[in-house]
Amino acid sequence: MFTNLTKLDLKDKQCMSDAGSPKLCMKALPGEGAERSCAYDGARVVLMPITDVAHLVHGPIACAGNSWDNRGARSSGSQLFRRGLTTDIMENDVIYGGELKLRESILEVAAKHNPKAIFVYATCVSSLIGDDVDKVCRDVAAELTIPVISVNCPGFLGDKNIGNRIAGEVLFDRVIGTAEGTEEKIPLSINLIGEYNIAGDLWGVLPDLKNLGIKLQTAITGDAKFDDIRSAHRASLNVLICSKSLTNLVRKMEIRYGIPFIEGSFYGIHDTSQTLISIAKALNDPDLLERTLVYVQKKEEETRQIIAGYKKLLENKRAILFTGGVKTWSMVSTLAELGINILAGGTQNSTPEDFQRMKELMDPTAQIIEDTSSAGFLKIIAEKKPDLIVAGGKTKYLAHKTRTPFLDINHGRKLPYAGYQGMITFAEALTRTVLSPVWGHLKGDFPPREGELQDDKAQTL
Amino acid sequence: MTKLRHYNGNPQKNSPALGATLAYLGVNGLLALLHGSQGCSSFIRLQLSRHYKEPIPLNSTALLEESVIFGGWDHLKKGIAVAADKYKPQIIGVMSSGLTETYGDDMVSALASLRTERPDLQDLPVVLAGTPDYIGSMQEGYQRTVEALLMTLAGQSNYGAGKLQGIPKADGAEIPSVVLLPGCHLTPGDVDELKEIVSSFGFKVITVPDLSISLDGHAELEAAPVVQGGTLLEEFQRLPECKACFSFGLSMEKSGEFLKNTFGVPHVNFPSLTGLTATDKFILTLAEISGKEIPEKLLRQRSRLLDTLADYHDALGGQKVAIALEMDLLYSLGSCLVEVGSEISVALAASLGAGNTPALPIPIEVGDLETLEERAGQSNLIIANSNGRQAAGALKIPHLRAGLPVFDRAGYPQKCWIGYQGTQLFLFDTLNSLS
Repeated sequence: MFTNLTKLDLKDKQCMSDAGSPKLCMKALPGEGAERSCAYDGARVVLMPITDVAHLVHGPIACAGNSWDNRGARSSGSQLFRRGLTTDIMENDVIYGGELKLRESILEVAAKHNPKAIFVYATCVSSLIGDDVDKVCRDVAAELTIPVISVNCPGFLGDKNIGNRIAGEVLFDRVIGTAEGTEEKIPLSINLIGEYNIAGDLWGVLPDLKNLGIKLQTAITGDAKFDDIRSAHRASLNVLICSKSLTNLVRKMEIRYGIPFIEGSFYGIHDTSQTLISIAKALNDPDLLERTLVYVQKKEEETRQIIAGYKKLLENKRAILFTGGVKTWSMVSTLAELGINILAGGTQNSTPEDFQRMKELMDPTAQIIEDTSSAGFLKIIAEKKPDLIVAGGKTKYLAHKTRTPFLDINHGRKLPYAGYQGMITFAEALTRTVLSPVWGHLKGDFPPREGELQDDKAQTL
Repeated sequence: MTKLRHYNGNPQKNSPALGATLAYLGVNGLLALLHGSQGCSSFIRLQLSRHYKEPIPLNSTALLEESVIFGGWDHLKKGIAVAADKYKPQIIGVMSSGLTETYGDDMVSALASLRTERPDLQDLPVVLAGTPDYIGSMQEGYQRTVEALLMTLAGQSNYGAGKLQGIPKADGAEIPSVVLLPGCHLTPGDVDELKEIVSSFGFKVITVPDLSISLDGHAELEAAPVVQGGTLLEEFQRLPECKACFSFGLSMEKSGEFLKNTFGVPHVNFPSLTGLTATDKFILTLAEISGKEIPEKLLRQRSRLLDTLADYHDALGGQKVAIALEMDLLYSLGSCLVEVGSEISVALAASLGAGNTPALPIPIEVGDLETLEERAGQSNLIIANSNGRQAAGALKIPHLRAGLPVFDRAGYPQKCWIGYQGTQLFLFDTLNSLS
């Protein structure tokens, strides 16, 4: 029942202990208000976008009840993944054990929802009461015709990042390479690892891949079907999008299936082009590379032309950036593309490598956000007085209280920001919020202070 | 009820610790500290944030693997101490989780031990609410936390602030105070209206907890890690002097009884404030206790409601409404619809509720939103939280959002569905959803 943390590649390299750098496996202090999340959350983020499987959470209501269907991962087909399914562990289960309930639940979910597979998530409480989720899954699978896969991710194992990696292990051990039929590699095919199709991000990139003749075998796991992930080992190349959280997965796929991997990002014009070119190079097809070089130049020009108007409006605005994963560094160049200066940057759920990369890209005068609690975040806003804040939804309403324009770039957003088209959408959205007339209304005193004429205020709006 | 299946499909339940957070968010200067892993608090912040569109200050003892082996007792002590030192709150409110209740952390002894080690924290009020995730839903967590707040803080003058006097009137007599205990089925907008109604009878009002001035979405100057707005610590101290206590929702009955039994404050419980009969009962009680005439404004609102009942009785009559909500809200809205001639076709509560089970013409069962989807097929309207959208979408039935979370409709937390005017608005919302 124990997850072997040493298997998870937690220490890829020596530890970097810069101030503000996220520390893997780091113990948050009780009461300090660090506001990170848990391993279960990390595992569900990676696995739950798989569309045609059932995701059954073996835990009390706090784990699934507060969180189901709350991420913006989109599907072009089955909506089964959006179902909230949980064994809803109750007091009696805590006393007598929940294995029987889990067993019945798996059978019932299989019968009612007809999934391609069932992922069963262990949680803090199920682990504490000693339920052997793995064994129950194996036993039930023998009675069913579909795979029943246990994910051992109790929240107390650590933060989100550890959960991401546990999910990667599960995909590698239990899903990838289990398809029947030929093992042959599909030419010019790639997997996009760590692309979750938030708000339809993936669909913004697909047209470019298609235009270039690159075949997407599967995303892991945005808009993914279970069978496509089973055949993920037939891809010729792995492209790691959400940076390091699934490094363990691509490394192991390289060793077992001989699939090389590259890292990339589809946020911003520069990174999108770079990633497409890297893919073409790594696929080792001179013809494709030539096509790609011409294609990205054309797309860059087109896109820059469209966003030129927005750039003019946003140029020299000063921003605070606070996010996680690949966006830590990818957003730096995206904002730079629009002429926006970054006053301060920080991260919560990234790896030290992502963090280093962000630091290198940022202006040396930019401040690193060290205290990642709400209090620390507010303090830096008060000090820097930015024109805009680009961060995850968690900080959205906090930012609004400071009366500062805010753009959500994490999983709660409604608009896709990936690829060239995404850059246009991003620029539009950013302009909309920064130039919104409401900020002027929010900043004035009411009733007006003496000496402050109403007319003056009207002019600033 | 016979258990149809073992799993919970599309849960309408929220965790008890989320209910506890909600109760704590109505107390001014309080820092809420969840004794659990970081995910527990993270999910609650997200869920409440997308409902209220507000930052949700909630701290955590951030338990990790070693606490599973050695227990979280020390973590809790450390958590309270760190939070007290770093954020200097007026009150700390702790709630437990499934994790800590399973290994049985004794919160009371942890607090006592901390106070021996840190005499400077002796006077810091710390509320401890036991809210295991595996017992009940949001309503139970909220209920237990209000009880814990009252037991720890009511009438206690040894905590910091000195004892306050009642507000003197011009002629020297004090304005009588009453205490209101709103259940978690009432929105900040509801509580606002409730206070207004009670004040119109000449009472000074103390509300525990008071979400109408903390989670009402005002553009306060600065967001903070402690609650801004809500019941004041001094107000807890004055509770024993109150002339009466009104509790709202059956889940709040026990809290009201506690004030009655401990301090002799007369207590009346109102299971619902939505609907003509329910509001009449409340207004008549206020008139009786205050010895005052019913204000003209309320009579006018009542008259408007009567006219609406006449105008729309046909449109409302015979409508089949399927409701899935937390118990108190289910009863409030359900009984109002019954009163106007609608039929309740399905009544599913998130949990059994810890008080008495109220009665509707059909039995209230505990059920999830997958059950709603299975049974609501013949209904004209679904009333459920936003997560009911999957059921409503599949069945192609209109869906009126209520409860928590409501994240895909604007303004729900400010909505008021209580009193004569609020009942009228609820009926309008129902009718507009149907058309």
